[in-house]
Amino acid sequence: MSPVSGAGQSDQYLCVQKHVEYIKNLDSRRDELEYWLTEHLRLNGVYWGLTALHLLGCPQALPREDTINFVLSCQRENGGFGAAPGHDAHMLYTVSAVQILVMLDAVGELEKRGLGGKQKVGSFIAGLQDEKTGSFMGDEWGELDTRFLYGAFNALSLLGLLDTVDVPKAVAYIQECENLDGGYGIHPGAESHSGQVFTCVGALAIAGRLDLINKDRLGGWLSERQVDNGGFNGRPEKLEDACYSWWVGASLAMIDKLHWINGDKLAAFILRCQDPENGGFGDRPGNMVDVFHTHFALAGLSLLGYDGVEEVDPVYCMPKAITTKCLSK
Amino acid sequence: MASQYTPETLQKISELLTKNPEYYTVWNYRRQVLRHEFTQAASSDSAEAAADRITTLIKNDLLFLMPLLRSFPKCYWIWNYRLWLLDEAKRLLPLSISRRIWEEELALVGKMLRLDSRNFHGWGYRRVVVDTLETLTSEEQGESMAQAEFEYAKKMIGTNLSNFSAWHYRTKLIQRLLNEKSATDAERRKMLNDGQTMAPNLSQSERLDYVRQEIEEIQDMLDGAEDCKYIYQALIDCTLLASKIQGTMSSDDQQKVLSWISELKKMDPLRRGRWLDFERSLCA
Ligand SMILES: [Zn+2]
Repeated sequence: MSPVSGAGQSDQYLCVQKHVEYIKNLDSRRDELEYWLTEHLRLNGVYWGLTALHLLGCPQALPREDTINFVLSCQRENGGFGAAPGHDAHMLYTVSAVQILVMLDAVGELEKRGLGGKQKVGSFIAGLQDEKTGSFMGDEWGELDTRFLYGAFNALSLLGLLDTVDVPKAVAYIQECENLDGGYGIHPGAESHSGQVFTCVGALAIAGRLDLINKDRLGGWLSERQVDNGGFNGRPEKLEDACYSWWVGASLAMIDKLHWINGDKLAAFILRCQDPENGGFGDRPGNMVDVFHTHFALAGLSLLGYDGVEEVDPVYCMPKAITTKCLSK
Repeated sequence: MASQYTPETLQKISELLTKNPEYYTVWNYRRQVLRHEFTQAASSDSAEAAADRITTLIKNDLLFLMPLLRSFPKCYWIWNYRLWLLDEAKRLLPLSISRRIWEEELALVGKMLRLDSRNFHGWGYRRVVVDTLETLTSEEQGESMAQAEFEYAKKMIGTNLSNFSAWHYRTKLIQRLLNEKSATDAERRKMLNDGQTMAPNLSQSERLDYVRQEIEEIQDMLDGAEDCKYIYQALIDCTLLASKIQGTMSSDDQQKVLSWISELKKMDPLRRGRWLDFERSLCA
């Protein structure tokens, strides 16, 4: 894709080097209060940063050995991973840990240095499936959420352990979350939301059951998320946000309807969210940048085939070359 | 530290969470402390005294959460913890007491939605509270609140017509009410007049009449609002529905649909690809 209209302004080009520097420096800000206030996101943060660097073509920018050490230091006796060392295990961080290890081609380290190899990680995840509904909890205390169901499918399939859970039951649960508008909600009966649509469609994709989706209806609802300035919102009447470029865009890509929205206008909106001086992306033009929005903005550009961004896998939100290799094993 | 379940520990935990409620591990620790206190309370002299003590513990903790929810309304972990606490009430307390606690929660959600009627999480949370209240009854198969909730949704729509969350809630409730009541056809039609869904047991010709009437009404709306794309979409949807009921699409209907699509292509360039696909599928 060529630079979009309005070319000439620096913020209409992807400032690759600035973004790489921004992500590399995230970890060197340990003396700032904000660093400690976001400790609950640490392992997620590494996944977002590492994926973004892969998509920018700089996969080596984070030191491999240190990253693996950090991931393993977050593992708990039950096999799951916490957000940072000393934090309780939770589905969200366990999925990030698996994704990071896969990207570093280091799943084998679980065998060598982890607790009980990948089987132990798999049994932590499988243990969170709710027998009654087939959905998944975030941890022993938590409630059910299709986010956790998707996370479980994502990590287990990457580990080659999807057969350790009841897939048909989970699939039936997702179908219960489908609404008349074609979208999906957080529980059966709850209003459609793009984030939840992504998790449900992604889980169905991993289960090989995209045939269960009414693609015209869902594609219609998703395409209505694009607003006049090119960005996507999460649900009707809400403000656009760069991260929805991913939740909405990847869902459209999985059901082969990405051409139902205007890609050039979306790319232009995403580029307006970047900070061309210091790197990184915010949720909207002019807002503070963070690694979460940086990652999802870049992933959104990748879906659109934007020049200079590596191809992303819309199901896993990881570099396509890596998931292809991992899943063919 | 896992063995120190003292009031001082709870105080420390509260201070930490007030500073940063995202520390989910600290919320888990708080659960363990509370569980420990519940167990101690349960060994009181009488069942009544035990229930009293547990009720106080739960109510105090629900109160502790209020200022946090006001300061961090979008923090997932606070809501998650609150639901756990309410579930503990359900698990540990006599029905009449836990029901009162959950009823107070419903009142709280109502207050929240009055302040922010589009609060997506608020609507989802309301559904969970209602679901639980329906099970907290001496009736064997639970007690439906669908009718009361339907009135509530209608009231909320009355104050703000473009409240999508309330519309969604209402649509779901109509379906449930129809099932529950196994209503007569006349009753169903009455509900459909202000609802948006198709009742399952109208006869085929009744359904077709209903849809044709709907198309006429929508077509009237077009007058003076020719630039409103939702009207064209509704016309297309209803015409396709009518064709489905008839089992075939007349060439007259097909021409109409194609003309509406070409309007959409003009007024909705963002989704041009969608309308082109649609056009192609009709001509195939
Ligand atoms: Zn966002």
